[in-house]
Parts: sequence; structure tokens; C-alpha cells
Amino acid sequence: MNSRIIYPNDDGGVSVIVPAPECGLTIEQIAAKDVPAGKPFKIVDVSDIPSDRSARDAWTVDIADLTDGVGGESNVFN
Amino acid sequence: MSKIALQGGATGTATFTIEAPTTSTNRTLTLPDNAGTVLSSASDLDAANLTGNVAAARITDALNASGSAPIYACRAWVNFNGTGVVAIRASGNVSSITDNGTGLYTVNFTTAMPDADYCVSGSANQGSGSVECVGESSGGIRTTAAIQVAILNGATNARTDRPFVNVSIFR
Repeated sequence: MNSRIIYPNDDGGVSVIVPAPECGLTIEQIAAKDVPAGKPFKIVDVSDIPSDRSARDAWTVDIADLTDGVGGESNVFN
Repeated sequence: MSKIALQGGATGTATFTIEAPTTSTNRTLTLPDNAGTVLSSASDLDAANLTGNVAAARITDALNASGSAPIYACRAWVNFNGTGVVAIRASGNVSSITDNGTGLYTVNFTTAMPDADYCVSGSANQGSGSVECVGESSGGIRTTAAIQVAILNGATNARTDRPFVNVSIFR
């Protein structure tokens, strides 16, 4: 799966959901299930994620760009 | 004395033959005292009917589990690369991992655990000059749906990324 899901986390940074290729779910199903409730998210191509992680904890995201949906209420974790 | 009745099929046209094996010994095949369909080598056996000592023995043999200690299964597992472009190599009952920052990941289960009292086991490959520790993150989530884990540098106790990170869940 060459997609990733990004959303802002509670620490002011950005979380990146990496789908499991063998799980049998689509990226949209994973977003609905694994994005925390209330968090806006965007599905992006893996090439959009930096491979240089030396400043990983400084990554940020513009919430205005997270237009693909909001985490479902079924997710009780944050 | 009870009786045996042989009855033809209601609609079929073929002939069904009951054939004796090549033998010179008289034998008796005793039918079970209940209704149902005879199981053949080509039949599927409903898992609900696979019970008792034979089933237990088959399972323990398949798992190479000797002795009488009970077996508890791994309910979810994942092996992923936490460096560069983070990616899952292989997994079971894991829908995704969430990369929350350096050395901080959430493992999301495809099918939820029965409760949150499961056991988490983890490992990561050794870095240069240090031994990495994978454990439940301080203040991280632990629910039936997901668990957050951290990879710590054994020398500095700082979170770190490693190319081989493994997490398994037992319950």
C-alpha cells in the first residue's frame, strides 16, 4: 500500500498512519478505524512523507490541508 | 431387534454402490446411535464438531507443544521498519501502525482484543553501542483497539528509531 494517513497529534506534531499490507482493509477503512476521533486527516502518497527522520519530532502539518475526513467516533483513544 | 432400511435418493438417477473391501475377515461396522451424515475423506468437518482429546492432541502436535501446560495464542503481531520511510514488513491482526514521532508508535488492531489486559512483548535490533528496549510508552494508550509502544536507547533512555521493530500481543 503506497498511501499514508496524516493527522495532527496532541503534542503539536503530526502522526502518520502506516497501513498493514496484509490487513485486507482499504486505506479509507483504515482511516475510519484508526484515526482518533475528532482528528482531521488526509490520505497522501508515501512519497509525500519525508524519509529523513532526523527532525521527526519537529514535523508539523497545516490543518487546512487535512480535508479528507475526521476520525470516527468509534475511536476512543487519542 | 432394530432394523436397517436402505432408501434411494428422491430425484437422482445414478447407482450408489456399497462395496466390501478385499478381506477374508468378518467385520462389523457399527453405526452411531444418532442422526446425521456419514463423514468421508472428502468431507469438510464443522469446527464445532472437532472437540475432545483427539482435537486437543492434533492442535498440540501441530504447535510442537509437549507437556500439559496450556497454550495461549499471539493475538496480534507486527514487524516494521522504523527508519526512513516507515513501513510494515509483515503483520497479523494489525490494520496499521501510527508513527507519532521518533521511536513512538501506536499499533492498531484489525480485530479488537477481548479486553485491555493483554501482554505486550517487543524487540528491536541493536544499534551501534547500545541495546534498544521496546516497551509500553509512558502515558500512552492501551485499549482493546490499540497499544502505544516506545523504542528507547538503552544507554541514553531517549526514544530512537530502529530498522527492525517487532511487537506481539498475547491474551
